[in-house]
Amino acid sequence: MNTEAALSAALDGTVVIENGDERGEFAGVLLASFGADVIKLEGRQGSPSRRLGPFSSSQPDPEQSLCFWRYNLGKKSVRLEADQPAGRNVLERLGQRADVIIDAGEAADVDRRLGLYQEMRDSNPRLIVCTITPFGLDGPYRNFKMTDLTQLAMGGVMASCGYDPRPDKMYDTPPIAPGMWHAHHIACEHAVIAITAALNFRELDELTGEGDCIDVSIHEAVSTCTEVALPSYIYNEKIVQRQTGRHAGVGRTPPWLRRTKDGRYVKAFLFWGDRDVRIITEMLNEAGIEHDLESDAYRELAEHSPSEAHKRFSTLIDTLVLSMTAEEVFHRAQAKGLLWASVRYPEENIDDPHFQARGTFQPIRQPGLDRDLSYPVSVATDGKRRVTAFQRGAPRLGEHTQEVLKQAGFSDDEINVLAGQGVI
Amino acid sequence: MAQMTQSEPAKPKRPNKSVSRRPLEGVRVIDLTKIVAGPNATRMLATMGAEVIRVEWHDQRALDLLRGVLPKAPGGEADSLNRSGLFNNINPGKYGITLNMSLPQGRDLFKRLIAKAAVLCENYSPGQMERWELGYDTLRKINPGLIYLQISGMGKSGTYNDYLSVGPTAQALSGLTHMSGLPAPMPPAGWGYSYLNHSTGYYGAMHVMLALLNRRRTGRGCYIDLSQTEVGVMTSGTATLEAQLTGQSTLRYGNRMPAADWAPHGAYPCRGPDEWITLAVQTDEQWQACVAEIGSPDWARDARFRTAAGRKAHEDDLDRLMTEFTKNEDRYELMHRLQKQGIPAGVVQTAADRYLRDPQLKERGAFVPLPHSEIGTWPIEGFPAKFHTMPVEVGGLPGRAAPCMGEDNDAVYRDVLGLTPETIAQLREDWII
Repeated sequence: MNTEAALSAALDGTVVIENGDERGEFAGVLLASFGADVIKLEGRQGSPSRRLGPFSSSQPDPEQSLCFWRYNLGKKSVRLEADQPAGRNVLERLGQRADVIIDAGEAADVDRRLGLYQEMRDSNPRLIVCTITPFGLDGPYRNFKMTDLTQLAMGGVMASCGYDPRPDKMYDTPPIAPGMWHAHHIACEHAVIAITAALNFRELDELTGEGDCIDVSIHEAVSTCTEVALPSYIYNEKIVQRQTGRHAGVGRTPPWLRRTKDGRYVKAFLFWGDRDVRIITEMLNEAGIEHDLESDAYRELAEHSPSEAHKRFSTLIDTLVLSMTAEEVFHRAQAKGLLWASVRYPEENIDDPHFQARGTFQPIRQPGLDRDLSYPVSVATDGKRRVTAFQRGAPRLGEHTQEVLKQAGFSDDEINVLAGQGVI
Repeated sequence: MAQMTQSEPAKPKRPNKSVSRRPLEGVRVIDLTKIVAGPNATRMLATMGAEVIRVEWHDQRALDLLRGVLPKAPGGEADSLNRSGLFNNINPGKYGITLNMSLPQGRDLFKRLIAKAAVLCENYSPGQMERWELGYDTLRKINPGLIYLQISGMGKSGTYNDYLSVGPTAQALSGLTHMSGLPAPMPPAGWGYSYLNHSTGYYGAMHVMLALLNRRRTGRGCYIDLSQTEVGVMTSGTATLEAQLTGQSTLRYGNRMPAADWAPHGAYPCRGPDEWITLAVQTDEQWQACVAEIGSPDWARDARFRTAAGRKAHEDDLDRLMTEFTKNEDRYELMHRLQKQGIPAGVVQTAADRYLRDPQLKERGAFVPLPHSEIGTWPIEGFPAKFHTMPVEVGGLPGRAAPCMGEDNDAVYRDVLGLTPETIAQLREDWII
């Protein structure tokens, strides 16, 4: 698949200015994937994410950061000292033709720029300003210093993720932050929802439609993303307990995570009760694994001691799963209607025919690397073609400074002066 | 119990023209979704002011199993479909109707609703809409401008298009389960809930709103085949890139920071049972401030820990020693002490902590009291942003929490389809609505 659905151009002609640090970068990527012209402002040192690894080079190099590449796909980079007076003037002029400004970082830093953004909105009322800060722009924690890890802790995600407690119900393993950058993902996804709502709002009346100021709190965003944890407490004063490889629960539940013949894991669990039991029994029979599930003795055990019966059944699932590779378990179980899956490494999906057919990944080449890398770019199709994609990879620092300033009406002389002043 | 007030049953309100204009004013969404991923997408649309009409029925195929899950509001009838706290939290701001889609008359009514709608969101099992002869090709003939969001575990195209999936399935396949947890030989910890139910809802909402923008420009509707597993792939960070470059399988890092020399970086036990604090020291300055704040113990002044690279290289020792310190500390006191010194620190908060002990969430109004017609007023999680101009309210147009089963039948069938009370009564009698 090498073409994109019409929706990939939904934001054609929409200009987004992205300021601040790594907390907001995923929002810019998502908007760029729908065709927005995303202009990333970077100071002399470049964005902080340029200094985050892993790097494609043997030594850290701001132009070789995979983190920067992943979270800045499809953007343009303008080198601008936006906090200098002349830099503010440049930003103000860029804002004349912008639809959206995203500014992410510590609240105090973002706060310093809000006055300028308000002035920009005065002259361009259609401008949408979206700030993304750890706790929002007000409240007692607004100036707390945070990272992705501490946000996942405060927001409640970590309290639900981790390993089973010991038999005495005490934990000897910590709560787990399930991978990197998810607090930022969650916040940026909400930011994009808010921005696209504002873009719709602006179109309600084409003559007077105005933009808005949106104050996204990463903490609140993470806190809304913990499924049953809050309702369990609010309605029943129960706190969910973390469990290995399955949902946290107010009580212990049977295991889902099981080892396979090739030393990998699968998620194998009961979802539809008796229906699933019938299918699993059938699979045990096909695999030639001895069992007593169809005996009167087992039926009696299930009636009088369901937890014992469940343990025995769970052990049989372990045996069944251990007789196959993870991928065999996945495909055979799915063919019979079970909701099981192999626990894959993320990269194993790149060459999977399913994801290839859907165009989930797009090969993109970054300068300085002599090969394409496949990036995940799309979560949907129009039935045939992927919905989102990127016209370019991540930018080099300042790669588009001249181009963007000229589009904004700066003359060559003005650009030279700004360069001489060290503003760009 | 956290019920706010025992209010009178909520009276559903129809859209009121005098209310400030909402971002999705005039957008009618037919909501044929279940569990969390689909309903979370329509939740967002309702919050932004769309008129979301939830379509449900009593049989197993069409009944949202979330209506029956715990936690439930205390009291009431044990088998009531209207008391689930999780369902209430995922479905505020929507209207609710019943419709028996397994009958031809029910499907005819559904088509009439589609003719009056801008958007259809649906996440039934693979093939169900086609079996009802209600696939996109049929529906767009009824309404050429229709935006049809179809959410499934794997996607409706590709080789797994008939595979079945719930959140844990998609999380396993996408790589997110593997990436979460302590390094091998520990198994993956995975996610302790269906994260991808939430985030798939977010992507569903943003795709629909972008399709609405696109339709304003082009006049055309569209079909969106959204894959929950692909949402997981999309949020797998740099893992796929690194694996392509190194040829090595993706590793797990526990709570450590793989992308920089940030240490200490993890969760550390505090004084109470299963009470933890996270620390994320990013710079030497932060480390020095941290050492001073914890009383400059000898171990912390060890030369091995003087630089970021040194701390990273000796992270096992650093974590062990830091644990010896934190285990005697009160988690919130320590967080405030360290934050005063500019050190990233955050308590691992449970739901009770967030609800009872988080002044930030309280001051920002993160929990919105909304009435429900059967269980009274309960706090609902709001949208995590403040807006200067736009009215964005999680209670949506009805100004209410989740609808009871079929609560708005009379209003919707009368106002949207123009049916008479007699016709509505007959439909009810015939088990069609």
